[in-house]
Amino acid sequence: MTSPANPKAEVPVLSVQDLEVVFPTPDGDVQAVRGVSWDIYEGEVLAIAGESGSGKSVSVMAALGLLPPSAQVSGSISYRGQDVTAMADKELEKLRGSAISMVFQDPMTSLNPVMTVGAQIAEGVRVHQRTKMAIARSKAVELLHLVGIPNASQRVDSYPHELSGGMRQRAMIAMAIANDPDLLIADEPTTALDVTIQAQVLDVLERAREAAGSALVVITHDLGVVARTAHRLLVMYAGRIAETGMADNVFERPAHPYTAGLLGAIPRLDAPKGTRLMPIDGTPPSMLAPPPGCAFAPRCPRATEICSQETPELRPIGTQLTACHHAEDQYGEAEDV
Amino acid sequence: MLGYATRKLLISVVVLFFATLVAFLLVATVDPIAEQRVFLLSQPGGAEQVQRLEASLGLDKPLMERYGSWLGDMFTGDMGTSTDNGRAVTTLLGEAIPVTLRLVIAATVISVILGVAVGVVSAMRQYGKFDNISTFFAFLFFAMPVFWLGALLKDLGIRFNDWWGRRIFFTIGEQSPRLDADFWGTWADRAGHIILPALTLIAIQLAATSRFQRSAMLDVLESDYIRTARAKGVPRRRVITHHALRNALLPVVSYTGLTFGTLIGGTVVTEVVFNWKGMGRLFLESLLNGDVAVTQGWLLAVGISVIIVNLLTDLTYGFLDPRVRDG
Ligand SMILES: Nc1ncnc2c1ncn2[C@@H]1O[C@H](COP(=O)(O)OP(=O)(O)OP(=O)(O)O)[C@@H](O)[C@H]1O
Ligand code: SF4
Ligand SMILES: [Mg+2]
Repeated sequence: MTSPANPKAEVPVLSVQDLEVVFPTPDGDVQAVRGVSWDIYEGEVLAIAGESGSGKSVSVMAALGLLPPSAQVSGSISYRGQDVTAMADKELEKLRGSAISMVFQDPMTSLNPVMTVGAQIAEGVRVHQRTKMAIARSKAVELLHLVGIPNASQRVDSYPHELSGGMRQRAMIAMAIANDPDLLIADEPTTALDVTIQAQVLDVLERAREAAGSALVVITHDLGVVARTAHRLLVMYAGRIAETGMADNVFERPAHPYTAGLLGAIPRLDAPKGTRLMPIDGTPPSMLAPPPGCAFAPRCPRATEICSQETPELRPIGTQLTACHHAEDQYGEAEDV
Repeated sequence: MLGYATRKLLISVVVLFFATLVAFLLVATVDPIAEQRVFLLSQPGGAEQVQRLEASLGLDKPLMERYGSWLGDMFTGDMGTSTDNGRAVTTLLGEAIPVTLRLVIAATVISVILGVAVGVVSAMRQYGKFDNISTFFAFLFFAMPVFWLGALLKDLGIRFNDWWGRRIFFTIGEQSPRLDADFWGTWADRAGHIILPALTLIAIQLAATSRFQRSAMLDVLESDYIRTARAKGVPRRRVITHHALRNALLPVVSYTGLTFGTLIGGTVVTEVVFNWKGMGRLFLESLLNGDVAVTQGWLLAVGISVIIVNLLTDLTYGFLDPRVRDG
């Protein structure tokens, strides 16, 4: 499965193929990711969207080998053609933070409370580049300045608790781009922040990405600003891809009822034509025993008998790839509006 | 840090004041002439004799006034004399404290170092062989009363000496009486004496410390900042030493401070089992003899040591954790 809108015929920076992740738990196996494939190319911005628990974090965490040892991972993840899943710890450590780096959701808990932010950034530099402490430190100041932290040369000696949430997330971003990675992964970088500073931090992220010249995978659980600034969009539901394509196209004409639902434009049979409803009723299924067929069926206004019997395969609909038995109907309707 | 240290020091002074009050009241509210009183009052003209006796002991004054003069004496280093042997309380304490301190310091230092090491290794291989074995011993020693473990080690030590044909472990006293040796010889002799009692205390302290360190480490290893460190490419060993350990030491530091009182209790028992002439013995004898001045002096000395240890704990904690320092 390749991207429908593969712009270049080069080797992707990161290629995820048929990824499956299972967590054995006392209650049974949690099937967090159930066969997901995507590629990201140089300089690209890919947004992965989906409700809580759809497997977004787990699928990117697998790319850096950051899942707990209990996780059973199958499928392949390759960085510029090298299989990451087969790498020894030493090789993975070289990759992490230099070729691929990550910004996490919660800046309050993601920084070490007993180390200054400067020391944490400098450490990231020094594990990959053999430089003197003083040089790593001035690099840290430079990076803090780049992500818009005022008084960077003083702030470099601050402890995380001395900074606000937004400032901490900026520091996290500075740390992530310290070695000019090829790929930056941001897992819900603004979810834990105040609404008023979310846009600023997204700006910083974009600036940092440009400065480092990296590709960006940004995870989000809404289709707001984040997803709209992406080149490509991938919508996940219950551990699978529901729909993927060029972001503009998917926004304009979602072919999957779930995407349409997330966009808040899902037409309901009992609602007057043209009514816009925001959230989707119901909750995602338990990943301990996901239902057979289409996992979205219990919540889907278009569901028919076949939906709960056969799992819909990802197939080309218009410009995108969609996993829905009735994608044509959804796609056709979107055109009418 | 300086502000934090000053604050902690001031709190310690306040606590010290209350400690003196408690040490005084614990003993002063017990009537030291209870028996004579009953006897004398049954005699004709006994009431006067009781009054005279009270006046000579200062018991006729109000409690707070007695506390004031007692505290004044304490500050000038006059802790009174033993009614049992007439020696100054300060002298008795001066002899007993170094003996006990040797045992307490050895046991604390070794049990903390070993406890941290055992806890960390256990946490890194949770439910592995090492973890399971250390869990078993931790629960075993945790459940064992101090006197029993002490007696057991004493017995084992004697058997070992018999088997070896030489005295390796000394089981009585803190050093050989009438020892005529140079500096090194004296300390070698003391080492032979300290092994078994120290082992007793270490086993018990180590049981708790290692479990505590283990669970702190497990908590920390699951935290987000450890994931961040790994995501940066920090090698596994450095993640443990520079990120996990520094954070996981915090709970153990406060635990060690908090359980210092319990350690003193264990030391008293251990000293009795091994016939040491330390603080444990001094305390028991003063109680048995109704030696008020010694008991009070003892309580005060131990109270002060607990306060000092807690102050040191707080300072270490502040040194390790910037959040506490500024908070
Ligand atoms: N260590 C784990 N053990 C067991 N189950 C796990 C573990 N980590 C994640 N899961 C489960 O895997 C599923 C996918 O989780 P994931 O964190 O990828 O969701 P997400 O899409 O990132 O959601 P959110 O928006 O809440 O971050 C969830 O059902 C979650 O409970
Ligand atoms: S396959 Fe059926 S249930 Fe699933 S999204 Fe499509 S229409 Fe809805
Ligand atoms: Mg997530």
